[in-house]
Amino acid sequence: MTATARLPSPALRRPRTVLVGTLFASATAAMVYFGVLALYVSRRAEARLLGIEWFPEGVVELGPSGWIFWTLIMSSFTVQWAVQAIRNEDRPNAYVALGLTMLFGAAVFNQMWFILNDTGFALDASEAQFLFFVLNGTFITFLILAMAFLFLTALRAMFGQYSPRQNDGVPAAAMFWHTVAAMYWVTWIAVYVTK
Amino acid sequence: MTMTESPPSEAAESTEPVAATPGAGLYDALTTSDHKAIGRIWLRLGLLLLLGVAVLGVLVALEGTSADGADVFGGVNAVWQMQGLYSVGLVLLVVPALTIGLATIVVPMQVGSSNIAFPRAAAAAAWGFVVGVAIMVVSVLAGGGWGALDGVSGGEADAIELTLLGMGMVAASILLACICLATTVVSLRTPGMGLMKTPLFAWSILVSASVWILTLPVLIANLIIIVVDLRGGPLLFGNPEGTTMIFDQVHWVLEQPAVFVLGIPVLGIIGSIVPVVAGARHIAHAGLMAAIGVAGLLAVGGWSQPAFSDQRDELLFVAFGLLAVVPVLASLALNSLTLAKAGPQVGLPPAQLLGALGAGLLLLLGTGAGALRVIGPFDLIGTGADAGVVHLVAYAAVVGLAAGMWFWASKIGGYALPNAAGLGVMLDFIGAAVLMGAAHVLIGFDFASGLNDAMAWVVFVGAILAVLGALGVVSSVASAKRSGDEPGDDPWHGHTLEWATVTPVPAGNFVGALARVTSEAPLLDVAEQADSDEGGAS
Repeated sequence: MTATARLPSPALRRPRTVLVGTLFASATAAMVYFGVLALYVSRRAEARLLGIEWFPEGVVELGPSGWIFWTLIMSSFTVQWAVQAIRNEDRPNAYVALGLTMLFGAAVFNQMWFILNDTGFALDASEAQFLFFVLNGTFITFLILAMAFLFLTALRAMFGQYSPRQNDGVPAAAMFWHTVAAMYWVTWIAVYVTK
Repeated sequence: MTMTESPPSEAAESTEPVAATPGAGLYDALTTSDHKAIGRIWLRLGLLLLLGVAVLGVLVALEGTSADGADVFGGVNAVWQMQGLYSVGLVLLVVPALTIGLATIVVPMQVGSSNIAFPRAAAAAAWGFVVGVAIMVVSVLAGGGWGALDGVSGGEADAIELTLLGMGMVAASILLACICLATTVVSLRTPGMGLMKTPLFAWSILVSASVWILTLPVLIANLIIIVVDLRGGPLLFGNPEGTTMIFDQVHWVLEQPAVFVLGIPVLGIIGSIVPVVAGARHIAHAGLMAAIGVAGLLAVGGWSQPAFSDQRDELLFVAFGLLAVVPVLASLALNSLTLAKAGPQVGLPPAQLLGALGAGLLLLLGTGAGALRVIGPFDLIGTGADAGVVHLVAYAAVVGLAAGMWFWASKIGGYALPNAAGLGVMLDFIGAAVLMGAAHVLIGFDFASGLNDAMAWVVFVGAILAVLGALGVVSSVASAKRSGDEPGDDPWHGHTLEWATVTPVPAGNFVGALARVTSEAPLLDVAEQADSDEGGAS
């Protein structure tokens, strides 16, 4: 038996309040978003039943939306990289990972903006175009919230908070980020792939 | 460092006993991060809203007593708007405010925590709710509401958008408060208190907060789409001039199964009061937790909105309606067995016991009426039975919450509420619920027009009883505060940790560290241990 195995057990970890709170907040955000998505899908199903064309052929392309899909997958890896780095007290890696994740977020925002302009949709043109705007607008709102959460977490880390035993904030921000990424992955299949 | 950044045990050790802040001013109320002060903001607002909604209920009921309309509000639009405000007020304002108020005060103490999780967010939720309510009420009075029947002017169309904004703020505030409460129960329980040893009221709040977290965001999603549509969309939900489509899009939150969430804390309150009155442990604590959990599952309601095609004829909707009776019945049966084990009670029952059992029976009636409502051949959906279910369930919640206020009065405000007044209040509310609920259900059956007219007057009498009950609560609290009687730290010989602290409850809740909890009734464990030690010594 090594000497360290005979040491007294560490004190109880502090309750993971931030992480649990973020879990509930993420559930709330997901329900808002999927509520909008469910309304979108149900109205589209109704339109199809009535034989109404939802989007004109070829207007909503799979390519740009696919880039968002893959960018968010990469961002999910980088945000977990930040979580692991802060657990290992490897701050330089944590800062790089958080910065990269925010960069990916900015790229997603940029690509989303491109899609909204590229389609040439108008808010009041049709039910499909209106709901497309609302859905993407809601996603962008949550994306901005997730980026703000990451930014604040990065600031707190830079000012010396978080340690291997006290790092709730980073996994919490990562959890919210994954939730936002998952929103898009479902949307990509439900809106862009199946159209 | 905020208190929530320390584990409960450490926070309890480091907390000096400080007297509760008496009569804090507006600045203190706005800046407080003490869960008891935040809870009192919710409770005061809840009581004010209860009084206002009860008075509005009398006017709405008076309007309903005449086939031609009593013209109380001066126009068909105003009648429709006030009916909407009354329904939304009862389901989204009064009961959530009282529930969150009571929970914000009691739950942290029950789980042995020094404060609620994210106290500043909890305070922001309370004030956000105040602002949301103000926007909603003012905008409805300005001609807003949830659409209009006979046309609106330009200003009134803006008021409709404001009403929806206010409703969204109210929903968001309830959600924020729910996140704080649920996090408190999940992560701030004292050492030894596993989830299965959580007191029933705290457990019921975790369940109802989770149900609200699954349901209210769907309402917010609806509101986002409607408001953007009104601001510049293709008017999917109808031009607000002369349509009820906006109300149709959101009214699922005022119906079963979503409305059953109001009854879940009632099951927790009954489960907290009954063993204390009986002076014994619950015969099946785990069974009661399971019943509350199942009631929660059956109260998730976002899926049942008409926007997702008409779900009301589908098997799932019918199954949810029929099964909702089961957990309520199971909970009442288990509580009754606990009471029966203690033997017959002599003399007047304490107000909280009458209220708890009355609330349970009202909830049973409400879920029973809901079960009748989903049975196709009765054809009750879209009739008075809708309002019948809402009244029975919402007033079951009001009675249960009033019972909770009488039970935990010493921890809420450091006073004791008078038992005789409490009995009157409980009977008032129970009478109001039975009269309004049963009369609406009978109107739904539409047996005869003469009977319907008589039932409309019964609803009116029930509404007056509700006002008397609300006045009774307000006057009881006012007189108890004036009397200055000190109820003692543990007037009922309670079983859970909120009774382990002094009255008035100090900042930080507990003086000194709490011992490790070994069961769901830690103070009963202590009493039993003391009894057995005494028995051994003699």
